[in-house]
Formats: sequence, structure tokens, C-alpha cells
Amino acid sequence: MQRRVALVIGSGSVKCAAAVGLQNVLKREGIGIDMIVGCSGGSMYAALMAAGYDAETITEMSRRLWTRDITAKKNRKALLQLLFPKLFGFDARFGLRDDGPVMEVFEKAFGKLTFENMKIPLYLTATDFANGEQVILSKGSLVDAIRASIAIPFIFSPHLVDGRLLMDGFVSDPLPVGVAMKEGASIIVAMGFESPLQGNINSFARFAFQLSSVMTNNLLKANYAFHSLAHHTEVIPVIPEFGERVRLFDTAKIPYVIAEGERAAEEQLPYLKRLLADGESAA
Amino acid sequence: MEIVFRQETAVTVAEISGSVDGLTSTALLTALGDEVKKGHIRLVADFAKVDYISSAGLRALLGTVKEARGQGGDFRLAGVTPPVKKVLELSGFTSILKLFPDAAAAVASFGA
Repeated sequence: MQRRVALVIGSGSVKCAAAVGLQNVLKREGIGIDMIVGCSGGSMYAALMAAGYDAETITEMSRRLWTRDITAKKNRKALLQLLFPKLFGFDARFGLRDDGPVMEVFEKAFGKLTFENMKIPLYLTATDFANGEQVILSKGSLVDAIRASIAIPFIFSPHLVDGRLLMDGFVSDPLPVGVAMKEGASIIVAMGFESPLQGNINSFARFAFQLSSVMTNNLLKANYAFHSLAHHTEVIPVIPEFGERVRLFDTAKIPYVIAEGERAAEEQLPYLKRLLADGESAA
Repeated sequence: MEIVFRQETAVTVAEISGSVDGLTSTALLTALGDEVKKGHIRLVADFAKVDYISSAGLRALLGTVKEARGQGGDFRLAGVTPPVKKVLELSGFTSILKLFPDAAAAVASFGA
């Protein structure tokens, strides 16, 4: 039986750069990837890998792409909507940050690229704002798909794609291994990240982040358990452990994050190689 | 993977070593299932020498605990190593299975 290997990169903001470390290890070992799935911050790295960029280029691009500038511009209308909803009208397109800078960055990086241009089949996930369903994006504009997948609640407004208003993929599943299963993967290398808990709750923002992290981590575990047990696809979890705290825009720590990704991948490598060798001998 | 069984009063201890994964989980599930069929429904898996577990290994653990509890017994883990514990935590298994620091504590827990 031919093995189909999928790489799944979960949500985790700048920590998703650890996927570059995983990419390095797989490339060194000559392990090919048949499909890539990305969610939220992981969608950016998944798209860069599927487009065929090497690790060095992805590292350099991610340093340029994922900066504080993408959330620097306030959405003044949203502030007014928040304070005076009746006067300024409040709707589902609410987001505290103007998405102009992030769209500009993604357009510079991906231009008019579409899923159809990818060298490795790519699937990105978002969440339908109207009903909470996971939405799998695999056709059309990459920029729109990534923008939808990173539509962090409250920060960026949900994004309209094919008539559906979509928000961040982590809201429905922070590590969407189920997508790779549906697409026929037999071995899934899943790189996931737990959301950091806030040490000191001294502001509304930290309160909101803490709440979000608690819910996201529970959702990650529940979904991972369900998919691990309900299917016969082999899931190999690659979970980097960060001794240093990595914040949302700690791009200076990308080399450290990549190194931790490599280390986590090395831990899983012996079994992955045995599994692939077993598949070859059975074929 | 290797499994060595021993009996400690009314508790069966399976000392497992190696990797519990897609290549070994069927053998583990069969071996533990055979013990349950023999009426050995108080089972402890000593994981002190298990260095790896994958999703297939998790399915074997779940199958065993369901069988044992279905017969009125239980299946408990002992001496879980850090890399294995990380996977058990990620998959929520620490809320399904009872974990003990070593086999002696797990065996004693059945008398409690």
C-alpha cells in the first residue's frame, strides 16, 4: 500500500516557524510530503512550503512578513462601533485592527498565487463565523485564504471568501489533522502548539488572551484525541517545547524557534523512518 | 516491543519495553486482551521502559481499558516516561486512565 504523508501545521503565531525546522529534518532524510495542511499562523508556513520555497527563504520571508506592523494600524471605526454601537452600527465584520497592512504584506509575498499553482497540494483551514463549521480552503486566491485563516477574533475582522464570512481556523480546530485524514493521508506528521497562559492578569487584553488560551488548549486536546482514536491513520505529533517565552511578534527568536522545531522533529524521526520502511517492505 | 507478564496477588502486571506504535500496537492489544479474557481484569501496564507512543498505541490503550472496565476491572499505567506522558496529556488520556509513579503504587491502588 502506498503511503501518503501529510504535514499539518497548527496555529501558534511566530512559533509556527518551528515548521521550518521540521522541514529541514524531512528534507535531510529525503522524506517527501504529499500534502500540507495549515491553520492560522501555520497557514503562512504551509503556503510557503507548498509553493516550493526552501527553508532559508521561508525564514527570511517570515521575518519580513510577521512583524508588529501588521497589527499596528488601529481600526478607528471599530473603536467607535465598540463605544457607540447604535450610532456607528455594529456588525460581524468587527476587528480592532485595520487589515490594510497585513493584506499588503501577504500580497507582496504571494501576489496572485493560487492553490492551483502550488507544487504540493495545500489545504488551509478557517472557521465559518455564521455557524462555527471548519472550512477547508483549497481553491483560488492564497492571499484571501491566509487572511481568513489568521482572522484572530477581536484583532482582525472575519474575511469574506466565496460568500462566507470566515474567521481564524484555530476557533474550530487548532491542529486540523482531520483535514489530512479526509484527503487520504495514511501518515500525518502534526506540528502543534499549546497557547501560552498569561502569568499576570493585569489588563483586559491579558484576561481575554488567558480565556482564549484555556479554551484553545482544551479544544486542541479534545480534537486531537478524537481524531487519533476515531481513525486508523497514524498521527505523529511533533510538539516543540520552548524553554524561552515566545510572544506573538518575537521574530528575533525565529532561529531559536526553528532549532526547537528541529529538535522536536528529531525525536519523532526514528519511528517515522521505521513506519515508512515498513510501508515500503509491505508494498 | 516486548511484553513480560507477572502476577502480583490479584493484579496482573505487564512490563512493556520499547515503542508502542503502529508496528507493535496490534500485538499489545492482543496480549492485553487475552489477559482480560482469562479473567485478569485488574491490569497494570508498567511503562517505565516505553520510550515512544503513537496514535495507534493510544488506540490499543483505549481498547484495553474499555475491555477491562467492561468486565468490572480496570487498566492502569505505571512509570510513564516524559515523552510518553506528553502524548498522553495532548490526547487527554490522563483524564481517561489512572497513572501511578511505579508498578508497586499501581498494584497497591487496586487494594485501596
